[in-house]
Amino acid sequence: MIKIENLHKNYGKLEVLKGISTTIGAGEVVAIIGPSGSGKSTFLRCMNVLENPTSGRILVRDQDVTDKKTNIMKVRQNVGMVFQHFYLFPHKTVLQNLTYAPMKVKGLSKDQAEKIALELLEQVGLTEKADEYPTRLSGGQKQRVAIARALAMQPDVMLFDEPTSALDPEMVKEVLEVMKSLAHTGMTMAIVTHEMGFAREVADRVLFLDGGVLVEDAPPEEFFTNPRSQRAQEFLQKML
Amino acid sequence: MNLDFTQFIPSMPYILKGILVTLQIVVLAGVLGFVLGIILSLFKISSIKILNWVADVYTSIFRGTPLVLQLMLIYYGSPQIIGYQIEPYTAAILSFGLNSGAYISEIIRAGILAVDKGQQEAAMALGVPYGKMMWDIILPQALKNILPALMNEFISLTKESAIVTTIGVMDIMRRSYQVGAENYSFFEPLLIAGLIYYLMVITLTLLGKALERRMRRSD
Repeated sequence: MIKIENLHKNYGKLEVLKGISTTIGAGEVVAIIGPSGSGKSTFLRCMNVLENPTSGRILVRDQDVTDKKTNIMKVRQNVGMVFQHFYLFPHKTVLQNLTYAPMKVKGLSKDQAEKIALELLEQVGLTEKADEYPTRLSGGQKQRVAIARALAMQPDVMLFDEPTSALDPEMVKEVLEVMKSLAHTGMTMAIVTHEMGFAREVADRVLFLDGGVLVEDAPPEEFFTNPRSQRAQEFLQKML
Repeated sequence: MNLDFTQFIPSMPYILKGILVTLQIVVLAGVLGFVLGIILSLFKISSIKILNWVADVYTSIFRGTPLVLQLMLIYYGSPQIIGYQIEPYTAAILSFGLNSGAYISEIIRAGILAVDKGQQEAAMALGVPYGKMMWDIILPQALKNILPALMNEFISLTKESAIVTTIGVMDIMRRSYQVGAENYSFFEPLLIAGLIYYLMVITLTLLGKALERRMRRSD
């Protein structure tokens, strides 16, 4: 589904990603973990070109998104993204947040878009909030709406950039539950997270980044019980 | 003080007709300025250098010279600029529109910059093209925050419109002045003009507050 070849990203002289290569298969759930500043968010944001890679190639469904000729907007329609700080549209109701892009980008009719939106709101358990504005929601509710908004475009891949890091502890679970059930539907997911328990339980693979390098790429059981690299061992010790 | 308003009662309809003239100029110039302001503000935040430059030069010229000068340049200069003499009324709308476009572009630019960068990213991640993103997502949020500053601009536009008197537009100001000249008494008609302007600004303020309440529904 996503193929990354020798990905580099520099900000001026600062090298954030130093040649990362990996593949995320269809239906796979990949957790991307690592210390702050390891480049994991940048790595994720390169996948839908919110960050422009300095060099290397990224293929999303066989389309090279680093190629200038590729219509990035078209690719992004199939790649949903969930942000740490939700970024719901504050001047639109919950329902309008969900129907906006399907209507304006994919050209669905209002009825079609609302039908999809209401199904998704039911999935994330927020049907009764459809006509509220985002300011009236709690953090956990906002993030669930944000997930539903991304799903409303019916993407093939979902990217999550630390989706629970800005939440109060008691709201983390409701968001993780939604993500867990999404994983069970066979959605391809790449998740930057600090939730080790979640990564261990839900992910098919764990990518451990440190200093812009992909240090480990292993199934969660193997990674959490028997990390090969010194850096991963230290990191896991600090996390526990 | 020796005030006698009664002698001006017959002239009142004449002065009041000026409200319509003033309003037309203010509304049309306001719309022109607003549209121009949006375009210029988009130029200013664009990544294309030449557009930044065009908008900056424009703003610097229209903010850097007196409005009454711009008005006269456009009115008296029109035969040399476009080959024929335009109506004073047209010159008034043009100069006020072009001038307030410069100010409004700065207001809107500030408003756009104040919208969380994440809003743009969220729209981009959904595949929303730039134009729709600006129009549907960024500008509505920007406008809500800059509404008080925009109201300021429209209020000052309303009052400053009095200088169209200098090129002979029959607005409230000029009519009051003429009535004063006919009666050899300027004080009362000018007081009347002042009251009319004041009431117009109050009305505008109330409208602005109502609009702001409407836009704050989502808070």
